[in-house]
Amino acid sequence: MENMATRTQTAQRPNGSAQGKICQFKLVLLGESAVGKSSLVLRFVKGQFHEYQESTIGAAFLTQTVCLDDTTVKFEIWDTAGQERYHSLAPMYYRGAQAAIVVYDITNQDTFGRAKTWVKELQRQASPNIVIALAGNKQDLANKRMVEFEEAQNYADENTLLFMETSAKTAMNVNDIFLAIAKKLPRNEQASGASASGQGRRLAEGDTGARAAGSCCK
Amino acid sequence: MYNKEETLRKLLKQDEYNFGAITFFAKLHKGDTCGSNGLPLTPNSIIIYGQAQSLKTFTSPYLCQYLDIIRGKHERTVVVSQYCGKPLSESIGKSQFQVNDIKRIAFQIITALDILHKKDIVHRNLSTENILLQHDGNIKLFNYGLYHMTCNGKLVSFPILQLIYTAPEVYLAGPNATKSSCRSDIWSLGMILVELVLDQPLWANLKLGQRIRKVLSMIHSNTSVFERIAREHNCFEVYENLDGGLKEFIENCLTVMTKDRPHSKDLVNKNIFNEFSAANQQPRSKVIKEFKTFTIADFYHWWQLAGGDVLQELKKQGLIRSSPPILSMPSLVLLDGSILGQERNPMTLYDPRVALMPLEALYDRLKDVTVTEFYPLFHCNSKIIKNSETNKYDIDLPLIIREKNTEYQFQRIIIFRRLLHSYPYGIDFLISAAEIDIPPWLRGEIWAAILRIKGDYENEYLLIDKETPTNTDRQIEVDIPRCHQYNEFLSSAEGHRKLKRILKAWVHKNSQYVYWQGLDSLTAPFLFLNFNNEALAFACLSSFVPKYLHKFFLKDNSTVIQEYLAKFSQLIAFHDPVLANHLYEINFIPELFAIPWFLTMFSHVFPLHKILHLWDKLLLGDSSFPLHIGLSVLTQLRARLLSSGFNECILLFSDLPEVDIEKCVKLSLETYKNTPKSITTRLHQNEEYYPITKDFNISDISTRELNKERCARISTTDVVKLINDLKDNIVIVDIRNPTQYNGCASEKSINIPFSSVKFGEVGIESLGLHGNMLCNNTEKNVVVVGSEDTDLTLFPKFLLECNVHRVCVLHGGFDSLLAAKPSISFVYHDRNNVH
Ligand SMILES: Nc1nc2c(ncn2[C@@H]2O[C@H](COP(=O)(O)OP(=O)(O)O)[C@@H](O)[C@H]2O)c(=O)[nH]1
Ligand SMILES: [Mg+2]
Repeated sequence: MENMATRTQTAQRPNGSAQGKICQFKLVLLGESAVGKSSLVLRFVKGQFHEYQESTIGAAFLTQTVCLDDTTVKFEIWDTAGQERYHSLAPMYYRGAQAAIVVYDITNQDTFGRAKTWVKELQRQASPNIVIALAGNKQDLANKRMVEFEEAQNYADENTLLFMETSAKTAMNVNDIFLAIAKKLPRNEQASGASASGQGRRLAEGDTGARAAGSCCK
Repeated sequence: MYNKEETLRKLLKQDEYNFGAITFFAKLHKGDTCGSNGLPLTPNSIIIYGQAQSLKTFTSPYLCQYLDIIRGKHERTVVVSQYCGKPLSESIGKSQFQVNDIKRIAFQIITALDILHKKDIVHRNLSTENILLQHDGNIKLFNYGLYHMTCNGKLVSFPILQLIYTAPEVYLAGPNATKSSCRSDIWSLGMILVELVLDQPLWANLKLGQRIRKVLSMIHSNTSVFERIAREHNCFEVYENLDGGLKEFIENCLTVMTKDRPHSKDLVNKNIFNEFSAANQQPRSKVIKEFKTFTIADFYHWWQLAGGDVLQELKKQGLIRSSPPILSMPSLVLLDGSILGQERNPMTLYDPRVALMPLEALYDRLKDVTVTEFYPLFHCNSKIIKNSETNKYDIDLPLIIREKNTEYQFQRIIIFRRLLHSYPYGIDFLISAAEIDIPPWLRGEIWAAILRIKGDYENEYLLIDKETPTNTDRQIEVDIPRCHQYNEFLSSAEGHRKLKRILKAWVHKNSQYVYWQGLDSLTAPFLFLNFNNEALAFACLSSFVPKYLHKFFLKDNSTVIQEYLAKFSQLIAFHDPVLANHLYEINFIPELFAIPWFLTMFSHVFPLHKILHLWDKLLLGDSSFPLHIGLSVLTQLRARLLSSGFNECILLFSDLPEVDIEKCVKLSLETYKNTPKSITTRLHQNEEYYPITKDFNISDISTRELNKERCARISTTDVVKLINDLKDNIVIVDIRNPTQYNGCASEKSINIPFSSVKFGEVGIESLGLHGNMLCNNTEKNVVVVGSEDTDLTLFPKFLLECNVHRVCVLHGGFDSLLAAKPSISFVYHDRNNVH
């Protein structure tokens, strides 16, 4: 089971115009079932929201590219199943991940508790440099809120997590949270080289050749 | 000689097979269209759709059978139901009925009402308009489910009542009242009987408001209501001279105080009905179920296949009329979404018209059907007769075409109705018929038979606790609204309730297992097919899981799943080494994509209509069949997979592209049939269903070992079978050293000594002539046979990497082959002779 989701990426030969650095990061979404993990990814990757989003079994994989200054950041996103039973599969997805978004539902206190457990597990088991963001999703239902913003913010501060309340439905803060993560991820040569597993290493030798511009860089 | 026309008329063109449709609009949700969970509210028409389904199960000679609910645009709802005979209202005033006729009608109505009331359904709509008088003088109630399907009228914007027939308490309770009492229907029956007795419509000349006032005035009546009405209509004499029993019955019905009014179950047994109820009780066998060659529901299904279109017909007959959208524009829309200045669309009112559906097209399609097709022959020892029954229809046509063909489905349904009736006897006939194809119309029952559901399933389900809260409830509750919600059944409120009950029952019953996400998807096809038979859906699920998903829902299922996935990898390697090697190289392992496939038997992956076709075949196979389905999916995407790296591959499966299920099924059947059984035999399969014979038992292998072996093991039994098979599709590659080989070897083996192979460089050429032969092989099973001192992983892996097809390893090596000695022959090259 060890190496399931960690594999080495065969770098593609760059072609096209020069475009600065290209970084690739593995990001994993964790959190209780039905808090909106798949919906956040769908919003981020396709700009859509499905009311009847199907549940996730095992995990789903998607990619999205964002531009940050002169760098193109490609996220390889693993969206996991939320049910506690699928827990045993989780390590194979967060192992070697450079970033994680732990999601809870602001209208459900239990999901916040579950989010804290995930954070603890990540701090213990994931790679030490992992960037963790906490997302309080379903912000559009603020009138049914059960988790106070301040409570979550304080918790995030204590654990040095990025924190935002999001809504996959209205798109609020969805791109922002991914961008905030991208900003915190090491984009210089040393830092990404430091990630031992070889994950997320810089792909494009922007100077030697050229790589197709990410579609988002317009 | 029989007259064909005449026979067909008798069999098909009966009054009873006529049906019609009514239509109305469900209430629109106002302004805020989101529920408290922030998600859109379920449209009322979908709630009605779910609520109405159970009505279809009511069969009684005194009830028109419900056939279908159809949702049109803008919350339009169409209800299709049997419709035959003439409204009773048309017979009033024609001196048509004697006292005895009226008694019989009273008995039949009360019997029908009793059926409804026993199911807690209030008619609320009873009138002489929707009681249909048949040729033979019997009656049938029509449109009795409107109040029920609209959740007691809450989901429509018109009142459900029938002015003069409606009980006073219904008016008093007002439009927002809770559900009316069953006793309101009894009042209506009383009023109808009064009309029949007086032989005139009541208060025919009064205006709407006055009629209601008349009904309400009855509350203050201190004499008999019946008497008062009779006097008001100058018919006191009729009242006075009426048969005592009938008079008392009517007065009973017209009791003013609801709580004092009798209940249908008391009225059914009144003495005045003795003669009818006795006649009604035909001697019935307890063992043999009543059999009908086909039902009106089947008939409706054929009608649709023959091009019948209810919505189209409603348009043609003017019951559906579209008005230009501009006419429905509001004058003012406030910021909060409320709308002003829009006239009430008259279409949202109740429309009592019934559109009868024309049947000519269907009669025409079936005009060449022969009488023998109504009575197909199953058991037959005479070859001559059997061969004379040539099939008119081409079963090689694509399935979709066969499923849409009226005559073909006619024949199939007639056949399966008989086979289902005789079930569990003749199950073998049913299985062979199902191997050809399964008529979609009867799929639910056929699946249940294939899954060997026993007769007492209903009781069993009844006894299971489905209510007590448990800690799985939250998970079930969040999964259900995400489960196949594009489907009207599964997205309806009734569908959600049913799915929840079935899942809770399953979890309760199977204490050794737990609820895994995905169990909801797995249940969905069974619920969809048996929407009106929850217990059967549960029974099917309960019989499906042990057969195909034994131990998958254990709390810790990791070894079971790992074994399954390892077998899957080996099966890919066995049939498609090129693909297997590619996937292996890019590290695209089944754990990453195939768990939802197998855990849900593809029910989480495909939409319902595809799952149904897939499972039609799955149910006829064993628990290895899903592995072949998995392989066939990969095969279909082969070209794209081979040209893709890891990311593209995994993306491909995150959003599975169109998969052609018919192709899938064909491919899976092919590999399923030509793969030796032991290749896919698993330690964790259910022994109850698949007794593992000793030779098949490749048991002493840990998952760890299994994961390392890229080629499957094969049992001695299978090898012996292959050797003795006339098709000659085995090559035994004996990898022991030449001394051993020459000492004794299987007759059909070649020797490639393990020690002679340089594993460093992949190149089959190094094997010389043998290599060439292996390389070109696609048909033959390449069985690697070694001994204790030869490595049994490296060599097969080498062959696999050289893209040799169908490589497997004999479990137990040469010794176990030797143990099968009498059944296969060996050569002793040293001695140069055969034994
Ligand atoms: N109101 C609201 N509903 C949401 C939001 N995000 C997700 N949902 C709904 O919550 C349910 C579960 O979402 P899903 O993405 O499947 O959750 P997951 O199990 O964590 O992947 C779905 O019905 C979504 O439509 C949101 O931001 N607001
Ligand atoms: Mg999900």
